[in-house]
Amino acid sequence: MTSLRTWRQGLAQGLAIGVLAVAAVLLLDGAMHVLMAQTPFGGPRPSAEPQVGGIVGWLLSKQSEFYREMSSTIRAAKSDGSAVWTLLAISFAYGIFHAAGPGHGKAVISSYLVANQETARRGIALSFASALMQSLVAVVIVGIGAWLLNATAKTMCGAEKTIEIASYALIAAFGARLVWTKGGGFVRSLQRPQPALAIVAAMHHHGHDHHDHGHDHGDHVHDEHCGHSHGPEPSELAGPGGWRRGFGAIFAVGLRPCSGAILVLVFALAQGLFWAGIAATFVMGIGTAITVAAIAVMAVSARDVARRLSGAKEGGGALFMRGVEFAAAGLVLLFGVGLLFGYLAAERVTCF
Amino acid sequence: MRRLLALLLLLAGVPALGPRAAQAHPHVWVTSTSELIYAPDGSITGVRHAWTFDDMFSTYALQGIESKTKGVYSHEELAPLAQTNVESLKEFAYFTFAKADGKKQKFLDPVDYFLEYKGGSLTLHFTLPLKTPVKSKELALEVFDPSFFVDFKLADKDPVKLVGAPAACQVSLQRPTDGTISAQKLGEQNFLNGDNSNFGAMFANKITVACP
Repeated sequence: MTSLRTWRQGLAQGLAIGVLAVAAVLLLDGAMHVLMAQTPFGGPRPSAEPQVGGIVGWLLSKQSEFYREMSSTIRAAKSDGSAVWTLLAISFAYGIFHAAGPGHGKAVISSYLVANQETARRGIALSFASALMQSLVAVVIVGIGAWLLNATAKTMCGAEKTIEIASYALIAAFGARLVWTKGGGFVRSLQRPQPALAIVAAMHHHGHDHHDHGHDHGDHVHDEHCGHSHGPEPSELAGPGGWRRGFGAIFAVGLRPCSGAILVLVFALAQGLFWAGIAATFVMGIGTAITVAAIAVMAVSARDVARRLSGAKEGGGALFMRGVEFAAAGLVLLFGVGLLFGYLAAERVTCF
Repeated sequence: MRRLLALLLLLAGVPALGPRAAQAHPHVWVTSTSELIYAPDGSITGVRHAWTFDDMFSTYALQGIESKTKGVYSHEELAPLAQTNVESLKEFAYFTFAKADGKKQKFLDPVDYFLEYKGGSLTLHFTLPLKTPVKSKELALEVFDPSFFVDFKLADKDPVKLVGAPAACQVSLQRPTDGTISAQKLGEQNFLNGDNSNFGAMFANKITVACP
């Protein structure tokens, strides 16, 4: 009787995880199709109309407004120093709205936090650190490129593109690592309820066949049977040692500067107000960090609520949470690979 | 049951993290005017654009460009930049999409391109020749960036000119801002209401030329 119950539970969990994985894939797939359809001459579709409705549309129009006001405010600051305060206020608001729109940074950070059992507090710290690093990279690119070397926009754009590719590759590598460690924990959880093993493993295979292109999870399962050594226990990942991995996330995401910040910096430099541009960039970064941190905290809370709802710390509940973490790790990898190969369009680098 | 709830909760969270349609907000603003160039036999041979960039992007593009006189740039001094512009725009199909009687038309690489600097703004002039000149009853031309990184706006005054077109041809415009169709009659005859009903797709900056 007990074994039958475990069996049923296992089946339900297997199904649930399968559904989760398929949903994630469908979602990404959908996004990719949308993006593919948007490529020039790929045939514009009816919804390619730039006027997006709803909250996203409103966010976009707000950002546009703030962004457009920046150039006139910088011009005004040349004769009237107090305009710098207006500039900072606009930059702050722009940062908040900009990050609230779709973007890969917060998606990667949130997925990482969910996958790695990070706390909300650490999520906030990571959000701020990566946003400030983004600002710093923008200032360094323009400071060295435009101010020191007087390079052309074309040259700087080349540098931006190289950094962008490096950033995406790092996100993918970071995701692959997470998938590897989380995959270990997940598979071990799968093996625990012995009678359910065969079924769950089969379900698991089924669910992930659509999902795993890059990493060969199938082999991993076989390795497990051969006494393959696993990654560290999830509980070992949180805590002090986890900071180093946290830096990996900051670096991977923060490496890619915002195109908008680069434009503002070059414009400020041309007006002889480079310092105002730098200040605006960092304030923009703080605004961005606030939004990203809020989203990260939401993601972490959702995960914690899910953990509580799924009940037991071990057995079925634990398996469920391992599955969730594994899926989140997979998302980080998918984001990295998608960005790297251009399936997911990030904000374009200004190159023409 | 609780696990199902937990799952639903997480599923609800995924779209929030997902990249959605990755809509960017514009970083570059372009005010566009276009000339449609016709051959004597009444077929359209190409499009001549004049795109004026906003001051922030103009300043950015001019970064590192040397000029003899500060703040003044000649066509020659801007020639390398114009070259970069047209080369980079190829990737985006020059943001120009043409259909003749519903059939997609292809453009060749731009010719006669140059940049002009006036009043703090750069204007890029270039001609896109059609791969095969085409005679059509209805020609639709759209100028827009599907990813919305560049915000195109048709100039308020004379955004479209027909050059050497048959006298009966009529131009009508559709701007993205108000979503309505504002017709501008440039020909001599009355506005034709026949073929213009196909506006299901509300594209930005749609220029339609009807030649009966």
